[in-house]
Amino acid sequence: MGISKVEPSDAELVRRVRTGDTGAYGALVSRYRDRLGRYAVHMIGDREDAEEALQDSFVRAYRSLARCDDPARFGAWLYGILVNRCRTTGARAARRRRMFVHDAQALDLAAHADQADRLDWTDAVDRALARLAPDYREAFLLKHVEDLEYEEIAELTGAGVSALKMRVKRARAQLQKYLREAEHV
Amino acid sequence: MFEREDETVERVIQHLRRPVAIDPGLDARVMREIAQAPPQRRRVKPLWPLLAAAAVLATMLVVRPWNWNAANTSDTLQFVLVAPQAASVALVGDFNDWDPARSPMRTAHGVWATVVRLAPGRYRYAFLVNGVEWRADPSAPAAKDDEFGTPSSVVTVGGRGT
Amino acid sequence: MMLAALFLVTQVAVQDPRLERLDPDTRAAVVAVVDSAHGVGLPVEPIIQRALEGVTKGAAGARIVAAVRRLTVDLGTARTALGTSASEAELEAGVAALRAGATPDVLANLRDVRRPPLTVALSVLADLVASGVPADSAAAAVLVLAPKARDADLVEFRRAVERDIALGAPPAAATSVRVNVADVYSATNSGATPNPATRSRRPRP
Repeated sequence: MGISKVEPSDAELVRRVRTGDTGAYGALVSRYRDRLGRYAVHMIGDREDAEEALQDSFVRAYRSLARCDDPARFGAWLYGILVNRCRTTGARAARRRRMFVHDAQALDLAAHADQADRLDWTDAVDRALARLAPDYREAFLLKHVEDLEYEEIAELTGAGVSALKMRVKRARAQLQKYLREAEHV
Repeated sequence: MFEREDETVERVIQHLRRPVAIDPGLDARVMREIAQAPPQRRRVKPLWPLLAAAAVLATMLVVRPWNWNAANTSDTLQFVLVAPQAASVALVGDFNDWDPARSPMRTAHGVWATVVRLAPGRYRYAFLVNGVEWRADPSAPAAKDDEFGTPSSVVTVGGRGT
Repeated sequence: MMLAALFLVTQVAVQDPRLERLDPDTRAAVVAVVDSAHGVGLPVEPIIQRALEGVTKGAAGARIVAAVRRLTVDLGTARTALGTSASEAELEAGVAALRAGATPDVLANLRDVRRPPLTVALSVLADLVASGVPADSAAAAVLVLAPKARDADLVEFRRAVERDIALGAPPAAATSVRVNVADVYSATNSGATPNPATRSRRPRP
């Protein structure tokens, strides 16, 4: 009943920002913050680093907004910036994670499951995810969690579609294996 | 018994798809950061006279002992960028592994500078402003092959290298 | 023990810790390029720096790999032209000159007329082209000046040309005017008459 307020589209908000309405960018940030944040947190595995990567990506996107060729696909373009930014942080965080995952305790737990305390399942998922190679994790998250098509992922990452499919397949197999090691039935 | 692989992975996917709460303060931090730089559409045209002056300043400030006879002389060079609205400027190039943390620049009245010792050779470099924006050095020759899509400059140090 | 073994599996391909900034696929490809360049005696530091430039700038892995492969090929071409005793700095400057449009012959000629190191001469050539001077004009100018000019003179020449261009001179004309002045000056000093063969011709339209 009556006129309902329709949210402005991405293209409309981008248009406004380009004509000088900086505040309109705030609406885009709110719109994409949690969704992109989800990818960053799972990809990087560290919430602080993830939020920093997210913030940097939003700022970078604003500063290079002139180069967003199709404002209607602002979200996909923003994703590309975030995916690339996560790779840089990923290298730093990966060193910390490798130390964690390969430490003696984790190895012991895997080898002697019957003696270990049962891990909380969500912790097990986080650890398993962290153990994937970054490009496997990236492809898996973009495909299965962020629901992108392979062609879109190919555009974002620069990898070929068949290479991506293989990475996703291997990621699935490895996740299943790591979780089986951590669970006992 | 064991779950089929598909079921395990599906459980993982459902778990990962749950919303992740990001600190809503991030919005304000983003808006504050973008407010610090000039808005996109306003180019820095008014600064050109200042940049020209800075180019002269940079040329005068460069310490350049052309010691033709010395072996393996390294040069001490000062790099300058005029960027009064920048919050941070880093010098990155072939001489510091393109690592923004290695040569942060210091500012006085909007003129950013740092000093680097360079062995003889030809070096590509650029300024990274606010951690996200790439700028070439307006007072230096351009690096023509910008194969990564961002501008770079070149500095050449003479003398006998190894 | 198992811990060390696990680390080895992930670390065995990486010799230079700086390359850890690359993702695994890209790193593997770059390491292969570095190893093969090393195997034929080419300097590897420029190749590593190019990869680091790419990763700092957030370039896609494929782009980084393409860039280091192209650089390796060009380093080889520069070395063929400049000779196996060319230094790393000379080779890098040689690559810049080649990419600016100088032919390998120009590099070889430069080697014949000028005492090493050729780094600054090659750089000036590349930098002139970057300012808009046509490649053949830039090469001709540098070859004329190369026998007698010091490195500092070449740099001053390049700056003077850039100033002229900034003030509106057509780039090719800017080099020929300046070379004629320099040519006459050096010929006067050495007592010889300027060699007609090396005097710059008017630029072709």
